[in-house]
Amino acid sequence: MTRRIHILPDRVANQIAAGEVVERPASVVKELVENALDAASQRIEVSLRGGGKTEIRVADDGSGMEREDALLALDRHATSKIREAEDLHRVSSFGFRGEALPSIAAVSRFELETAPAAGGVGTRIRVRSGRVGSVDDAARRPGTTVTVRALFGDLPARAKFLRSASGETRACSEAVLLLALANLPVAFRLESNGRVLLDLPSAGSLRARVADLWGEESAAELLEVDRSTGEIRVGGLIQRPEAAGRGTSRRYLFVNGRPFRSAALHRMVDEAYRTTVPGQVRPAFLLYLSVEPREVDVNVHPAKAEVRFRDRPAVEAALRSAVRVGLGGLESAAPAKPEGAGTAGVAAPARPAAASAVRERGPGGDAGAADASHRSHDRPSPSQLALFVPGGARTGEDRSAAGEEAPGAPAVRRRPLLWQLHDRYILASVRDGLLLIDQHSAHERVLFEEIMRRFEKGRGASQRLLFPVTLRLGPDEYAAVEELAGLLRQTGFEIEPFGDRTVIIHAGPQPHPGFDAEGCFRAMIDELTHGSPLVDSARNQHERIAKSLACKGAIKAGQPLTFDEMAELVDRLFATELPGHDVHGRPTILRLTLEELERRFGRT
Amino acid sequence: MRLSITREKLQEGLGAVAATIPNKTTLPVLSNILLRAQGARLEMSGTDLDISVSVGVDAEVEQAGAITVPARKISDIARELESAPVHLVADGDQIELSCGKSRFKLFGLPEGEFPSFPEVDFSESWKVTAGTLQELIGHTAFAASTEESRPILNGVLWQLRSDHCTMVATNGHRLARMTFPLEEVDAPEADLIVPPKALQQVERLFEADEEVEVARSENHLAFRSATRVVYTRLIEGPYPNYEQVIPSDNDKQAVGSTGALEKAIRRMAVVASDQTHRVRLSFSEGTLGFRVQTPDLGEAEDEVSVDYQGETLEIGFNANYLLEVLRYMPDEDVRIEFRAPERAATFRPAGGEPDYLCLVMPLRLLD
Repeated sequence: MTRRIHILPDRVANQIAAGEVVERPASVVKELVENALDAASQRIEVSLRGGGKTEIRVADDGSGMEREDALLALDRHATSKIREAEDLHRVSSFGFRGEALPSIAAVSRFELETAPAAGGVGTRIRVRSGRVGSVDDAARRPGTTVTVRALFGDLPARAKFLRSASGETRACSEAVLLLALANLPVAFRLESNGRVLLDLPSAGSLRARVADLWGEESAAELLEVDRSTGEIRVGGLIQRPEAAGRGTSRRYLFVNGRPFRSAALHRMVDEAYRTTVPGQVRPAFLLYLSVEPREVDVNVHPAKAEVRFRDRPAVEAALRSAVRVGLGGLESAAPAKPEGAGTAGVAAPARPAAASAVRERGPGGDAGAADASHRSHDRPSPSQLALFVPGGARTGEDRSAAGEEAPGAPAVRRRPLLWQLHDRYILASVRDGLLLIDQHSAHERVLFEEIMRRFEKGRGASQRLLFPVTLRLGPDEYAAVEELAGLLRQTGFEIEPFGDRTVIIHAGPQPHPGFDAEGCFRAMIDELTHGSPLVDSARNQHERIAKSLACKGAIKAGQPLTFDEMAELVDRLFATELPGHDVHGRPTILRLTLEELERRFGRT
Repeated sequence: MRLSITREKLQEGLGAVAATIPNKTTLPVLSNILLRAQGARLEMSGTDLDISVSVGVDAEVEQAGAITVPARKISDIARELESAPVHLVADGDQIELSCGKSRFKLFGLPEGEFPSFPEVDFSESWKVTAGTLQELIGHTAFAASTEESRPILNGVLWQLRSDHCTMVATNGHRLARMTFPLEEVDAPEADLIVPPKALQQVERLFEADEEVEVARSENHLAFRSATRVVYTRLIEGPYPNYEQVIPSDNDKQAVGSTGALEKAIRRMAVVASDQTHRVRLSFSEGTLGFRVQTPDLGEAEDEVSVDYQGETLEIGFNANYLLEVLRYMPDEDVRIEFRAPERAATFRPAGGEPDYLCLVMPLRLLD
C-alpha cells in the first residue's frame, strides 16, 4: 500500500510559497530592490533580459553581507529585520517577510554576490532551484548583486502564466518607478536588453524626480501639497486642474514610504478635485502619507500592494483636506500661455502673499493690514461702503461720467492695480506677475461656496422685494419648486404658492446689486427641472441648487465693474477654498508670471 | 464762421458740454462738439444720442456759421491757453484757433453730420426753478436701479401735477420720493420716466436760481434756460404702482439724530458681510441698538439713543441702503416708521419738511 500523504520537503514548500511573493519578474525586481534599499544603498541598478524571464540582475552599493549572513539569508524565514513576533507591528523596512531570497532562489537559477561595506572577503553563492550549488570567494566592491536567471525555468506551470517579454518589462519598470518615487535620494537605473529605460540621479525633491522621470513640463504642472491633520501628514504633488485630463493620468499613493493601491483613496482625491475639473477627468497625483506605523497594516497582501488603515475615515479626511488646500493656492490657477508652449518652473508664492499684493496698495498705504479682505470698509469715505453699488456715483447709470465727479473716483485712479478688460476680465497685478480673472467664473466660485455654507450653517439673509414677482410656471417646474421650496428658502428665495402653477417671490438673495431675482429664479428652475451638464454633475440636491444659483446669479460677462467692485470680488475670490476654479471645472484665473513674461520677451 | 471769445467763456462752454461726449463711439461725429456762431453767441453742443446738451456763451461773432471739432482736443487746448481773447475761424472742415501767439489748426467734421436735436415744443411747458430740480434730483436719483432686466426702474419717475411735482426712484429694495409745490403750470399733468444720467446733467448745468422750462415731445423731454438746453430720451412704459407699496399702517416710530445713526451704521458696516452688508436694528424703549455678525470675521454692536416708545423689535437691513437714506436725509433728525421685521420701514425728515420719504425693505434674517 502506498502512502497517500507525504510531507513536502522544504525545497518544494519553498517553491510553493514562492508563488505568494514571486509571481512574475516584476515581483522579483521589487523584492530585490527593496532588499537593496534596506541595505542603505545610494545607487541601485536593475538590468533585465527577456523581460526578466531570462535574467534579472539587481546591483547595489549598499552594506553587503558577511558570508554567514548571506547563507542565512537564503534560509526561509531568515530575516535580519525581525527578531520577535511583536516587532511585526513596528516594521518600517521593506522586506520584512524574509522569504524573498529563498523563495526566489527556489524558482530560478540564482546567484548572489556580496561584500560587506566594512571590507573583507566577498562571497558568491550559486543556488539552483533551491539547492545551494557553490559558495566561493569573490572579489568585488561593497554591496550586493543578485542575478536571477531562468525564472520558473523548472516550473512550466508557472512560467506559462507570464506575459510577453515587453509586458513583463513594463511591469518591472513600473515596480522600479514606484520604488524610485518612494526613495528620492537613491539613484536608480533600469536597463532592458542593454537599453536604458530609467536613469535617475539622486533627487533632492519629488519635483526633481518627477522631472527626471517625465520631463520638466510634467513637473511644472504639479502643485505642492503638505498638510498635517492630527497625526497624519500628507505631502507630495498633485496636478493642476487645468492640466488634468491631458495624457496619462499618473496616480500614486505611498504610506510611510511604501507604495500602495487604494481605490477608495483614489476616489477621495477625485472628490477633493470636485468642481475644479470636468466630471470624468482623473487628475494625476503623487501623495505621501505619513502615519504612525501602528496605524497601518501593510501585511494584508503578500505583495504589500494594499494596506489597511486602522482609522480609514481619518486618513480619507486628511487626504481630502490636503488636496483641497493644495488646490486652494494661487499656483493652482491655470498659467496664461499658449497651449504647448514651453514651461517655466512653477513658482510657489503663497496665496496670501499674492492676494495681499492685490490689496496692499490702498490709498491708506497701510500695506499688510492683518485682514486685508475687509479693510475696504475701514476707509472713511461713505462711498466705500457701497461695494458692488456704484462707488460715489449717485445713480450708477453712468459710471464713467459720474465717476468724474464722484468723491471716490480720484482714489480709484491712484490704484491702477485692477483693471477690467472688455467688461469681462479683471487684470490684477500681483507680486510675481499678472492674474487674469474671469469675472463671471470668479463670482460663480464665490457664490457657490457661500450658498453651500448657507446650507451647512443655515444662516444668511434674504432681501425683501418692494414689488413681489409673480411667476407662472410649467407643471414640471411648479412641481420642482414645490419640492425644493425648503432649500430655495435657505438660499434666500421666499416663495409663496399662489395656485394654478403660479408662485409669488417675496424675497430673494442679493449676490450683487445688479441681481435680477426674477430672471435668475426662472433660469434656475428651468435648469433644476430639466437638467444640464452642470447640475447633473452635482452630488446632491444642495450642490445642484448651489451650482445652478451660482451660475445664474453671478455677475455676467459684459457687466462693467467699478474698482471697488473688482476689489471686493477679488478679495472674496481669494477667500474661497478653491479660488482658481469655477463650478463648471473651468479655470477662474490665468496666471502670467514675470518669469514667463521675461522668457517670452527673450530676457532670460 | 469767424468770432472772438474770451478764453474763460470758451472753457466754460466746453466744460459744460464735455460730460455728454461719449468715451467710445462708433459714430465719429459724436466725439465732436458742435460749434455754432450766431447773434452774439457761440453755442456749443454735444450728444451721445440719448442725451444732448447745448450751451451758449457770449462771443463777438463776425461771421455766423457752424462746424464740429474734436471735443477732447479743443477742451484741452482751451485749458492750456493764456488768458486772452481767442479767435476762431472755420473754413470748410478746418478750424483755426489763435490766442496771443498760439496758433492751432484742427480738422473737424461738417455741421451736417451732427445729429439734429429732438424737436420739442415749448409752448406747453412746466416752469420749475433749477434749485427745486436740484433738490428733487439730488434726493431721489440715487435710488434708481442699475440692473438692466427692468429698464423702467432704471429711470426716475417724475410726476407733474397741477400744483406739485414728485420724483420717485427705486431699485425694488429701497425707494426715495420727494415732492415740491409748483406755481406756474401751463401744461397738463404728466408722468415722465427720465434717465438719471440726464437728470445729473440738469442738476449740474443750471444755476440754482435760474428758471427752467420743461417741455416734452412724444419720446423726449427738454429742459431749457436762457443759455442752456438739455434734451433726453424718455423711458417708455408704466412705472410700477409705488404708492401701493408705501406702507400706511406702520404703527411704530422712532426719532433719532441722522448723523448719529449714520455714524453708528458706518461703524457696523466695517464688520458687516461683504455680500449682504446686513445689520440688525433693535428698537427698544429709548434706544436703537445695532448688531452685525459675520461668520469667519466677527461681530460688532453699537447703540444710539432715540425717541421710541413701544415694544422691542428687531429688523435686519442692508447697511448700504440705510447709509444712503441717511446721507440724503435733509434734516438733522430722522423719523423711522415700521411695523414688523418683514415689513418695509420708512424714513422721513423728523421736522416734516421737505416732503421726503425713503423706504427700505428689510433683509430677512435666516437663522
